[in-house]
Amino acid sequence: MAYISFLASVLEQSSPIMLAALAAMITLRANILNVAVEGMMLVGAFTAIAVGNASGSAALALLCALVAAIVMSQLLALMTLRFSADFIVAGLGINLLAAGGSLFALEWFYRSPGGLRPITFPDLWHIPAGALSWLPVLGPALEGQSIIVVLSFLAVPACFVFLYKTPTGYYLRASGEDEHAARSAGIDVARMKALALAISGLLAGLAGAQISMDKLHFFLPEMTSGRGFIGLAATLFSGGLPWTTAAAAVLFGFFGALGDRLQALDIPSQFVLMLPYLAAILGLTFARWRLHIRNRPARILKPQATSEPSGSHRADLEPS
Amino acid sequence: MRRAVVDLLKAIRAPVAAIALTLAIGFVLVAAITDEPVRAYRDLLFANFDSLGNFALFLNRATPLTLIALGVIFSFRAGVFNVGGEGQLYAGAIAATVVGVFLSGLPAIVLFPLAVAAGILAGAFLGWIPAVLKVRLAVDEVVTTLMLNIIVLLFTSYLANQVIRDPTSYGAVSQMLPQKIWLPAFPGVPGATSGIIVAVLLSIVSWVALFRTEWGAQLRASGTNLRFARTIGVPADRRIITAMLLAGGFGGLAGTLYVLGIGHRFEQNFSPDYGLVGLTCALLARIHPIGALATALFYAMIINGAAYMQISTDVPRSLVDLLTGLLVLLMTARLGLRQRQG
Repeated sequence: MAYISFLASVLEQSSPIMLAALAAMITLRANILNVAVEGMMLVGAFTAIAVGNASGSAALALLCALVAAIVMSQLLALMTLRFSADFIVAGLGINLLAAGGSLFALEWFYRSPGGLRPITFPDLWHIPAGALSWLPVLGPALEGQSIIVVLSFLAVPACFVFLYKTPTGYYLRASGEDEHAARSAGIDVARMKALALAISGLLAGLAGAQISMDKLHFFLPEMTSGRGFIGLAATLFSGGLPWTTAAAAVLFGFFGALGDRLQALDIPSQFVLMLPYLAAILGLTFARWRLHIRNRPARILKPQATSEPSGSHRADLEPS
Repeated sequence: MRRAVVDLLKAIRAPVAAIALTLAIGFVLVAAITDEPVRAYRDLLFANFDSLGNFALFLNRATPLTLIALGVIFSFRAGVFNVGGEGQLYAGAIAATVVGVFLSGLPAIVLFPLAVAAGILAGAFLGWIPAVLKVRLAVDEVVTTLMLNIIVLLFTSYLANQVIRDPTSYGAVSQMLPQKIWLPAFPGVPGATSGIIVAVLLSIVSWVALFRTEWGAQLRASGTNLRFARTIGVPADRRIITAMLLAGGFGGLAGTLYVLGIGHRFEQNFSPDYGLVGLTCALLARIHPIGALATALFYAMIINGAAYMQISTDVPRSLVDLLTGLLVLLMTARLGLRQRQG
């Protein structure tokens, strides 16, 4: 039965990474490198516990977590799209604001800088034991998982359908692919980017709620511990394609679960935990390298034609 | 003379406005939660100068911030968006510590330069990876530096926990470095690192190198307009890689000077996000070396001041984290209409 509990912990670990990865993927398709997923997750995690503690309702806590994360995403959208702040810098600002803000709230309202641990906390809906006994292997591993784990796996086809099968998804991708062309075609690029950020906030808020609400029922500063960045790594590793991103997220969740097991055995887990980040760098390098090889003949004709496609997001930081 | 003053005022207008706005928001927040907002703000800004001990801590805080900011400036001037300051800092700190701990038998005259060189090289290596990937394959350097940060933090956590750990102390803390290679204290201020002298000198050297040499002009040209730089015969790729080697080297030096001058050992959580705060200082100073010295001193002042403020008025010190977040969020924003199209 050991493998079933391991599979269950892989699913549990994958869930926030998957949501974070999808959050980063949606914005990546709108040509935004979203480094703020981590911060939005943290806000979601904190809001979930704070509201659940105050209201005693799990549904309300989850809803507020989502709203709070979306508000953060729209703050980022406002600063970047309306006031032309740099996406990376403002995104890192969101992360700092989330970390600082939640710590400030802990210190000031709850007088406990170490964390917020409600004595009683409403439970999320979990798949009841025995409900999936007809499903071999996967069934027992899914039993006892929270509704958010289920939602995170449903979010993959949802994102796929949204991006590839709806007009809005087309517009969103067009805005990311070529802003000028999209604008000429009458697409409101800024609105599409703001929408991408809002969806990103929704998914990140869900990820944060999963981290704090599912089993732990408490909030700690820096609780998200880089999982937003693992999600970003998963997306970059798979080039922003939904199914590949989901597969990478599960793979990284597997690394995470493996790292936990190794820690228990007193084997240094750090090297296993490094794998997602190494994979992201190697995956990206490999993708660029293939492009490089393919473009070689063209490069002889037009030596400087291959500028970076993703370079536009920092055009405004050039020294004035 | 008057023109110089006007130019200077123009240059510092935006950063000063951003800082003033953030401090004003902070003051409103403080006024809302405490009866003594003036006292709180006095301590936040000026308690650093109340005693020699506070002043020493202030200098210790400013040293790594200045060095990281200088490194960031070199990379940004060359058009590389290097967010890897934290990783470069940790790489330098751990490399210097490993050398110092394992070769502690060597005489100080050999060991000291060896530890410094190890720290700088480790940081520079970490800057070299994203630079080469960017120049050769156009791999986005934001991603590589971000990911490398986490990789380095995990790696140092392994070394600090399993390899050079001090078994008598709690947590991921390395063994002490031999006292013979400790950096001497700042003259007249016991407890302060003389690394601040290095930081101040290097900020002047950086300014000269970037703005008063042909090499610096070429580096900046590669950053502002790569194609133009190449067309007029600037070896842009080499300048970009050198800039990143320097950026990493500065981060590595910051870590090295921290362990040699302040911590005297490696602690896994010695940095309150110096990498990101250093980046903030550099951007606030409009990526100018002398300006970065000023913003780093300002930041050192409020990071330490927050602790004094908490003691005297019980305003949480995380107020500064909150304000930093706001500042970074607002920092690159432009008021008014959008200036660029796409």
